[in-house]
Amino acid sequence: MTEAMEWVLPGICGMGLHLKLDGFRLVYSLIAVLMWGVSGAFSKQYMAHYKKKSRYYLFFWATFAATVGVFLSADLYTTFIFFEIMSFTSYVWVAFDEKPESLRAAETYLAVAVLGGMVMLMGLFLLHDVLGTLDMEQIGIEAGRVLAGERTLSHGADIHVAGGFVSAKVQLYTAGFLMLFGFGAKAGCFPLHIWLPKAHPVAPAPASALLSGILTKAGVFGIIILSCTMFTNDGNWGLLIALLGLVTMFLGALLAVFSVNLKRTLACSSVSQIGFIMTGIGMSCLLAWAGEGNLLAVRGAFLHMVNHSLIKLVLFLCAGAVFMNLHQLDLNEIRGFGRKKPALCFCFLMGALGIGGIPLWNGYVSKTLLHESIVEYAHLLEEGAAAKGLPAASPALIPFLTAPGFWKGAEWVFLFTGGMTVAYMVKLSVALFVDKNPKRQEEFDQMSSHYMTALSRTVLVGAAVILPVLGMLPYNTMNRIADMGQEFFRGSGHLHEVHYFTFANLKGGLISVAIGAVLYMTVIRGLLMEPEEGGGRRYVDRWPSWLDLENLIYRPVLQRALPGICGAVFGFVDQYLISTMVTVFFAVSSVFCRALDYLTDSLVVLMRRTVCSQLPEPKNRPETDRLAHILGRLVDRWEKLKDRLFGKEDTGRVRVSAVHHMIEREKRVKHMTDLVEQSFSFGLMLFCIGLCMTLGYLLFVFYMG
Amino acid sequence: MNEIILALPVFLPVLSGTVMLFQPWGKKEWSRKRELFIEGLVILNSLLAAAAIGGGTDGGRRLVLFRLYSTLTIMFKLDSMGSVFAGLVAFLWPLATLYAFEYMKHEERKNTFFAFYTMTYGITMGIALAGNLVTLYLFYEMLTLVTLPLVLFPLTTEAVRAGRSYLYYSIGGAAFAFIGLVFVLGFSSVGTTEFMAGGMLDPGKAMENRNTLLFVYVLAFFGFGVKAALFPCYRWLPKAAVAPTPVTALLHAVAVVKSGAFAILRLTFFSFGTGFLRGTWAQWVVMAAAMITIAFGSTMAVREVHWKRRLAYSTVSNLSYILFGATLMTPFGLAAALSHLVAHAFMKICAFFCAGAVMHQSGKIYIYELDGMGKKMPVTFGCLLISSLSLMGVPLFAGFISKWNLASAAFDSGSGLGLAGVAVILYSALMTGIYMMTVIVRAFFPSLTGKTATAALEATDPGWMMTVPLVIFAAAILLIGLHPAPLMRLLTMIGGEAG
Repeated sequence: MTEAMEWVLPGICGMGLHLKLDGFRLVYSLIAVLMWGVSGAFSKQYMAHYKKKSRYYLFFWATFAATVGVFLSADLYTTFIFFEIMSFTSYVWVAFDEKPESLRAAETYLAVAVLGGMVMLMGLFLLHDVLGTLDMEQIGIEAGRVLAGERTLSHGADIHVAGGFVSAKVQLYTAGFLMLFGFGAKAGCFPLHIWLPKAHPVAPAPASALLSGILTKAGVFGIIILSCTMFTNDGNWGLLIALLGLVTMFLGALLAVFSVNLKRTLACSSVSQIGFIMTGIGMSCLLAWAGEGNLLAVRGAFLHMVNHSLIKLVLFLCAGAVFMNLHQLDLNEIRGFGRKKPALCFCFLMGALGIGGIPLWNGYVSKTLLHESIVEYAHLLEEGAAAKGLPAASPALIPFLTAPGFWKGAEWVFLFTGGMTVAYMVKLSVALFVDKNPKRQEEFDQMSSHYMTALSRTVLVGAAVILPVLGMLPYNTMNRIADMGQEFFRGSGHLHEVHYFTFANLKGGLISVAIGAVLYMTVIRGLLMEPEEGGGRRYVDRWPSWLDLENLIYRPVLQRALPGICGAVFGFVDQYLISTMVTVFFAVSSVFCRALDYLTDSLVVLMRRTVCSQLPEPKNRPETDRLAHILGRLVDRWEKLKDRLFGKEDTGRVRVSAVHHMIEREKRVKHMTDLVEQSFSFGLMLFCIGLCMTLGYLLFVFYMG
Repeated sequence: MNEIILALPVFLPVLSGTVMLFQPWGKKEWSRKRELFIEGLVILNSLLAAAAIGGGTDGGRRLVLFRLYSTLTIMFKLDSMGSVFAGLVAFLWPLATLYAFEYMKHEERKNTFFAFYTMTYGITMGIALAGNLVTLYLFYEMLTLVTLPLVLFPLTTEAVRAGRSYLYYSIGGAAFAFIGLVFVLGFSSVGTTEFMAGGMLDPGKAMENRNTLLFVYVLAFFGFGVKAALFPCYRWLPKAAVAPTPVTALLHAVAVVKSGAFAILRLTFFSFGTGFLRGTWAQWVVMAAAMITIAFGSTMAVREVHWKRRLAYSTVSNLSYILFGATLMTPFGLAAALSHLVAHAFMKICAFFCAGAVMHQSGKIYIYELDGMGKKMPVTFGCLLISSLSLMGVPLFAGFISKWNLASAAFDSGSGLGLAGVAVILYSALMTGIYMMTVIVRAFFPSLTGKTATAALEATDPGWMMTVPLVIFAAAILLIGLHPAPLMRLLTMIGGEAG
């Protein structure tokens, strides 16, 4: 593949789509076609008894289109669009059963997908702003300039936040973390792996095969773009990815060892294998940063992706073959199902040997490469080659992380995880093909002839045969695949030919197998099984049920704490604050208005009380109108008498009593009398005063004169 | 002299609506004829509007109706931003009317309802085509009055209370807006008060009274913001969800509330001008208010279990997306705000119509009653799915385009608060995911353990009058989502002119 095909669709979905076909994309598109083809053929039997087949197939193929779109995308915008479509269409797979546990798992899946998508979108915005482009060819160059401090932001200034500056570099890292969150959620990277162990057991088996085999790889695809295309030579980033990879790898395998559910074990195993791949990606960054060729890590990571896709296809379809006959996945229930079923046994074994990293199977090759890359890095650190430019950040931690001893430890974590992989695959194989079911063994044996249709058997065996072929002819097959893909990873340096089957390389694989054997015999047969009544031993789930990241942290935080707190705050605002504000506003304004209203009134009242006060009412004088009463009654009687005498009948007219008249009269008379009296006495008084003054004057004149 | 066509789409529905009020068309046998008449009238009006828009917006075609005094005129003017709003309204109204016929089939007092419903069309057109702040203010007040009977329509206590609160809030808000009107008139640089891209303030006079004018801008923003359900004046909107669904969908998700947002765009970009406002404290105040509303509305929507009220809270949140775009005060911000104005119109009317269809067919109004409805009403819930995904901002749908534009514009503006706005938008998108997807998941994957396993309920998709608008809206969402280039070109051009 020398020349890449490109296809640009301008204007679609806003910024236009940009698709491209080069070596890596070709390999992954072909794998997608293969996987969907095989699962589709297998679905025919698996889905035969379901009613909602059309729904299943609709979303099955829609997801295919979206997934291929992700792998073909040549800019991050296109990646994001197809990524989101893929998340939503695959949701229907998980919820397909519509049982309570599937709905719960689907809820988790959707929540992780939506949350991951949103965070990724935020990262995408930030990235677009910092780099000015989302094209995969360009982001590496631009990011390199930003990290080297040569480039400021597209609009010429760093962003002001709270008075300070956030440099382009910090923004770039932030964007990287946000996008890593989104892609990592899909890939199943710790601590966002929670959806995998829940979703796989409930989804239809062909869908699980795809979810685990290739949808997680879409997340890995994004991580590769971030790590290999954008942060190509960045040690900090590489360290982060490698550490996440190691943790994911180890914890996934640990969960798988404890699991007693066939598909759950496989799902946890997927988490662990994604950890292997991420470790490889991280190592490639670190090696490039150290200035060494990173082809070992690049090829290891890429081949492990391919291998894991193919292996998980086979393993999940085998689990599907079990489930469609028994509708059970618990290891104790399905014990012994695989006996006397050579096709199933062959396929499962191929997968188990492949993933366990047994020499001559394909997993061995990629794991060897990954192992070598860790060894090489540790070696480099010992020589001190990488010590030349330690990152300035977190000085306390970095020396520890760049110490050769740490990476020796990492190597042993790697080998130990390989051992756990062997152990849990042995656990599954023994349960399926060696153990006898205490109750239904005969029934199981009778199913041997018709447990799979010819079509299912053919495609399954066909898919399984690929694994040893790849593993036994690595120079002809896997090296070529790796050659096609390594360009995409920006692999650099000279590749010294790796001899997969020399003792130095076999040693690592053999150590893992040995660890696996010990683990199986001691831990699994010893600790994780207990005797049962019929004399055999049964598998028990010893994983403490409270130790579940989802139920322990995510659900309480996201379902209770976050909506609880936000909801309570806003609810309080809505219920009390706003209505209180309105009430207070009305209260204050009404008090104010009323005060203004009273202002005029009170002014008037004040005036009346003071300046413009009315004269006091005249006091009622004591009743001195006896004469008026007597006279009035006399007149009344006289009137009545007159009526009777002259025979006037009572016409209903109310005769006004003359008493009042008389009183009025009397009052007037009295008033007049008073006036006269007063004026008379007033006159007298004046007269007296005048008299006195005259007298005084006379006396004065008399004495002075 | 063809400018008279600008006045026709405004006055035709108002006059016909008024005439309808006095017609004795309440009788049953008139029902069909009345429907034909109204639908014909509304389509005719949309065609008139289309003709007016199709005539081009070169140089801003204007029509002066009359003068109040020297420079104060009542005038219509068709510019590109007005034509976007007018076109949107003209596209939605005939479909919503069609939907209303079936929805209101069993109601009393249909004549009154449709009379006011039709009159609102003209008033909304008046807002879209208003050429200056006075005209805008006039139609803005009229919109409150003419839609009040529609809110009151059920005549229950709740509806009366909602109507009263709607009236208080709107009239109160308009009073604040009036202050802005007066100041803009007082400080306008040219003789007329016509809207002008880039603002019409006299730079010299304005700079002297800078803080006063900024304060007035904030007042007017919150005043018009009342109709756009800006925090803290949003309470009328969820209450108004008691109105019949055609009203909630068309008026309280598009016409009325978008008028508020549209008026704010006019105020910010065409009256005060972004050159005057950008970078001032007033911008931070209004932007913060918009951001609070975004977060607030979507969180309240998650808490709400009454379906239409939940959608109303979602509207509260989404309207502030538009305001957030406007408060960025950049050309790109305006384009983004307008793109969300268009996209949200389709998404929310579609979502409300789905809720209405369910209410009409089964009487279910609470979300926990919707278990398994998706299978019984596939068309309705299919459309709801599209609208929900679009509201969440999933690629392929219109909502993604507008959110992308908003966030890009926020980054582009380069302000720290703009960045915080992006975080708020994403928080809100997450909440949208919760409050919309819970409905969808419930409808398509009923939880068997749920307390309301209402399996016995029989419901089907509604008739064509309701499903056709739904399908058209869903198709429009997809179309905008897949091929937004022509729309965005237009909106970017408007932004370029105005910023």
